[in-house]
Amino acid sequence: MAALLKRVPELTLLVLVTILAYVIMGTYSQVSGTEALTPFAAWAIVAGSLVLSTIIAIVAVVGGVGGGVIFTPVMLGFTSVDTLLVRSTGLVVAMFSGLVSSGPFMRKGLADIRIVFYCAIPIIIGAMAGSQVAIELSENMGETGDAIVRLLLGGILIFIALMFILGGSNTEYPQPKKIDKFSKKMNLKSRYWEESLGKTVHYHATRAISGSILFLLVGFTGGFFGLGGGWAVVPVLNLVMAVPLKVSAASSGVLLAIGNAAAIWPYFVKGALIAVFAAPWMIGQVIGGILGAHILAKVKASFVRNILIVLLLLTSIKLVARGVEGLLGIDIPLL
Amino acid sequence: MKKENQQTNSEDDCPVAPIAGVVYGDIIYWGTIAGTFIVIAGSIMTFVTKNNYIDPNYLLSSIWEGRTVEEIWTGAVGAQPDGHWYLSQLGTGNGLTAGGIALSIFSVIPGILGAAFVLFREKQVLFGSLAIVGAIIILAAMIG
Repeated sequence: MAALLKRVPELTLLVLVTILAYVIMGTYSQVSGTEALTPFAAWAIVAGSLVLSTIIAIVAVVGGVGGGVIFTPVMLGFTSVDTLLVRSTGLVVAMFSGLVSSGPFMRKGLADIRIVFYCAIPIIIGAMAGSQVAIELSENMGETGDAIVRLLLGGILIFIALMFILGGSNTEYPQPKKIDKFSKKMNLKSRYWEESLGKTVHYHATRAISGSILFLLVGFTGGFFGLGGGWAVVPVLNLVMAVPLKVSAASSGVLLAIGNAAAIWPYFVKGALIAVFAAPWMIGQVIGGILGAHILAKVKASFVRNILIVLLLLTSIKLVARGVEGLLGIDIPLL
Repeated sequence: MKKENQQTNSEDDCPVAPIAGVVYGDIIYWGTIAGTFIVIAGSIMTFVTKNNYIDPNYLLSSIWEGRTVEEIWTGAVGAQPDGHWYLSQLGTGNGLTAGGIALSIFSVIPGILGAAFVLFREKQVLFGSLAIVGAIIILAAMIG
């Protein structure tokens, strides 16, 4: 950690300035109290969000899933914050670790720029459509819409967790039996230096057409639920297109940043992204994103994914319960 | 048939990162870090001065109580915004914080255009064109 801070001076500066800023904000706060929150509680919320966001970003970057997969379900499942606000802030959480990790990933050659641009178009189109539908649904369906969102998201999380479980550990360096004509024509092949093996890994992506259709769906669900879509980008790249796991995780972060850069603007201009709430999540994602990008080159991504599977399954139970509660008007006693 | 995904362990074989990727990554990396420092400045301004577009504790309390976006904005300034409201409020804590977030998100567009320029110079016209299309769509989403 100390070596990393020395090697990346901008990270050191960012960490120091952030700590100093939050100390100043807590010490010299001019914020007036309300019935719901004292000035200290207001500061504690933003400071706590910053710490949580940093941890989520490290886990998300190493797992290649985007922080929205953790943030959005947990906030929807365990707090009463409005679903539209959670989803817009979820996109911030999903995209900023990807934005800032783009630099280290590209410099190390871990993320593949041609695969990124090939997959970006369907993701962007899907993400924009998803965020527009989310805003429409929120404006027209009220609490019923909220319950439906929670229920659907719970179901999707179970699906994602199962996909990670069934994907297993045989997918780190997938060996495609055949490269289809279109993928050959696109020439989606490259190589990267695998630090953990001390070897260069060569790869050629396949099933490019199926991949782009799936990315359209991924973009839509990412934009709609505020998940970002990273949860599905890695499996599509790795399991469908036969891209090595580490390149999939790195390219996923970069793709998320592009896709969510389009999805977030409709929320932004409608005021659904509230700066004082989103800021600590954004700063934490940037700090954690840089840390995670440097850690990814050295660790086995499968370890982090096991933690994610447990987290996804636990959160999905709570989300499904809250969705059923909202739709049927019954009380399900869960934490 | 030669296996496409294979491993070699020669140090000489250690690949060089593509320039288009490095240009893209660096523009976004530094754009995001610049935006983050602005967000930090905006956050300090929000908490330690009274110079705010909307009172931060009102915002946090409303969010914590589960009020909707429309209720929060209507209760604060009378109506929900429809556009880049922060551009006229950059002198306030809320406006500067939102502006910093927006700048970081915006950095994706010059990042893509920079990478597209390199791709065109390397005669990779297809991927350069895909990048341009992506930048145009994001710009359209931003303009609304």
